Amino acid sequence: MKRYIPLAAIFGVIWCFVHGTFSLNSFIFGLLLGLLTIRPFRFLYRPETNFRLFSPSNRIISIIRYFMVLIKEIIKANIVVAKIVTRPKININPGIIAVPIRCKTDLGITGIANTITLTPGTITVDISDDHSVLYVHCIDASDPAAVCASIRDDLEKYVLEAFE
Amino acid sequence: MSEVSIFSMIMNLLSDIVLLIGLTFVFLGMLGLIRLPDVYNRLHTTAKIGTVGAFGVMLSILMRAGFTPIGVKAIAVGLFLLLTAPIAAHMITRAAHRHGVGLCKESVIDEYGKACERCKK
Repeated sequence: MKRYIPLAAIFGVIWCFVHGTFSLNSFIFGLLLGLLTIRPFRFLYRPETNFRLFSPSNRIISIIRYFMVLIKEIIKANIVVAKIVTRPKININPGIIAVPIRCKTDLGITGIANTITLTPGTITVDISDDHSVLYVHCIDASDPAAVCASIRDDLEKYVLEAFE
Repeated sequence: MSEVSIFSMIMNLLSDIVLLIGLTFVFLGMLGLIRLPDVYNRLHTTAKIGTVGAFGVMLSILMRAGFTPIGVKAIAVGLFLLLTAPIAAHMITRAAHRHGVGLCKESVIDEYGKACERCKK
């Protein structure tokens, strides 16, 4: 039980945000709720793998850089989709393409999949059984190789730095 | 006019502008939901534009209310939306594809369908 206390502390901070007041009372209440929440979902929390995220200190810088890239890409994505939607005649050629990925850990794969969904013109549909290929629905799939290259160079680099 | 009231006036103005941007994106998202041809393309608009639109509204609440309980709750809701919207979009596309919802006729390529075919054989 002791090793779940750091995770429960994160729950306490989240509870402070949800409750809206930052006080010791609400933090402790959230911590106790966190312990209760973690208990039935124990198999999802593996401290030995999850907690490598916090150990190297220079990783913080790459995580901040990743979030800056993410915000920039989200704004770009919205402008791209807004342009497509407001065009008088919708002229798109969508399709699902296979994108090979280099991420190996679960956290890295989750990160790259969510990043792909939030960035211009792409949605992650599924992952192959051997965790090496992501299937990505792309709103403009006329040139699959270019989409793969843009995902590899613009997004995956930052995800690899931040989460692996 | 004192400095505090000028500051709150500027924050109110910024909050209005952010609210307007957020609502514009929500409107465009709904327009895309009506205009685009199939479920996968429609999710492009709802997953991305919906997220940023709702996040803009939440940011506007934060600017208007400051770091009061309501403002902090708004930012928590915004972050949860940012985290969960991609997962919802992913699950909906996957479920749709598994249930045999085809891609629209403009589609040029479907490598996921081919991979599923290979698995079945």
